[in-house]
Amino acid sequence: MQHSPAESLTEEAEEAEAGDPFPRLLPWLLAIGGLAGLAAAFTLSVEKIALLKDPAYVPSCSLNPVLSCGSVMNTPQAEAFGFPNPLLGVAGFAIVTTVGVALLAGAALPRWFWLGLQAGVTFGVVFVHWLIYQSLYVIGALCPYCMVVWAVTVPLFWYVTLHNLRRLRTAQSVIEYHAVPLTLWFLAVIAAIGVRFWSYWSTLL
Amino acid sequence: MPDTQGRGQTAKAKISKMREQEQRARRRRKNLAVSLSVIGVFAVVLAAVFVVNRVSGSQPADIAAGESRYVRADSHKLSVAADGKVTLVEFLDFECEACRAYFPVVEDLRKEYAGKVTFVARYFPLPGHFNGERAARAVEAAAGQGKFEAMYQRMYETQDQWGEKQVPADEVFRGFAQALALDMTAWEKAYNAPATLERINKDVEDGKAVGVAGTPTFFLNGEKIEPQSVDDFKAAIDAALAG
Repeated sequence: MQHSPAESLTEEAEEAEAGDPFPRLLPWLLAIGGLAGLAAAFTLSVEKIALLKDPAYVPSCSLNPVLSCGSVMNTPQAEAFGFPNPLLGVAGFAIVTTVGVALLAGAALPRWFWLGLQAGVTFGVVFVHWLIYQSLYVIGALCPYCMVVWAVTVPLFWYVTLHNLRRLRTAQSVIEYHAVPLTLWFLAVIAAIGVRFWSYWSTLL
Repeated sequence: MPDTQGRGQTAKAKISKMREQEQRARRRRKNLAVSLSVIGVFAVVLAAVFVVNRVSGSQPADIAAGESRYVRADSHKLSVAADGKVTLVEFLDFECEACRAYFPVVEDLRKEYAGKVTFVARYFPLPGHFNGERAARAVEAAAGQGKFEAMYQRMYETQDQWGEKQVPADEVFRGFAQALALDMTAWEKAYNAPATLERINKDVEDGKAVGVAGTPTFFLNGEKIEPQSVDDFKAAIDAALAG
């Protein structure tokens, strides 16, 4: 605020050239977020197998009528591409984790690699939003492990996208306040869940 | 000479590096401050909604004239006594096996005491029963079309088909509604309507207020009774009729 306009301009120019806007955040996010997503997808796969072996099996995350993996896992939406969705997660999040660890180890990845990662996280974020919609408004139940995947996929998409768009002037101000849109997104989903299942939550009070 | 120049350069580099770090820290603080303010605003709005809800939510629980915690104006009466002297209220859960076991007993009592005793059914779906609340909603949705009793009976008669399962029985209940030739659009709408669930939760609240913990719980003229047999039941009702 106390800076003269000229100074803040050079500041921005410097930053635009500086390259990586999240030199520490992004590798750690990819590594930890990828691991969390991997754990969730792996657990869901194991639960799915248990459910296939014994249709009466109650998954560990079926806690009450709203938080209920069982009723989510048995829907057609849980096999959007003809096979259980978590299989995509097991493969995808393993890659994300590996990329994060490689970056932490000091790897410099070429642009085409970053664009490939961008394609992956973009697919992920679109798919996750479809699943959120289906879970809230079509199936009417929440699956805790799936929600871990939601919570991980969106920041992954967000920061990989900002990294790839870092050279755009318009991206600069967004990068400066990078956590704000993410916070808004989380609050929006929490609000949607709260409103959708209000009648249930209110019985718990 | 070259030595001092080199030192000057490192000092300059150090200063610019420090400045850069300072700027970065400032940016990080701004980013954090705005994000936290957003969360703060959200929390305040949420708290306001809670308070408003609490205040308005406590109103329907108030007891209107001619009502009691046991029998509300909108409570479903399976049979009505002409003199209204004796009322048997049951808090029930359609997925509860004990309620299912009492169902034929209550049906027989209704026949035997037709016109003498008012039989009232109140919803009390237990959280442990996966489809208990759905069943109550299905029955309440049928009640909207005057088919409370038919759906109530259907639920108990078919309990072993849909009870004790951890998957939604929506499809099964939809089938019951169809079999009863209900207006399916209206039934579907009522089944999913928040108002239906509120109606059920109102019963549950009343139940909790009068000390219902499990199902079935029977109240004879506001007195909790625990009949162990059909004869117990009859003796209690006869005593109430005589008294």
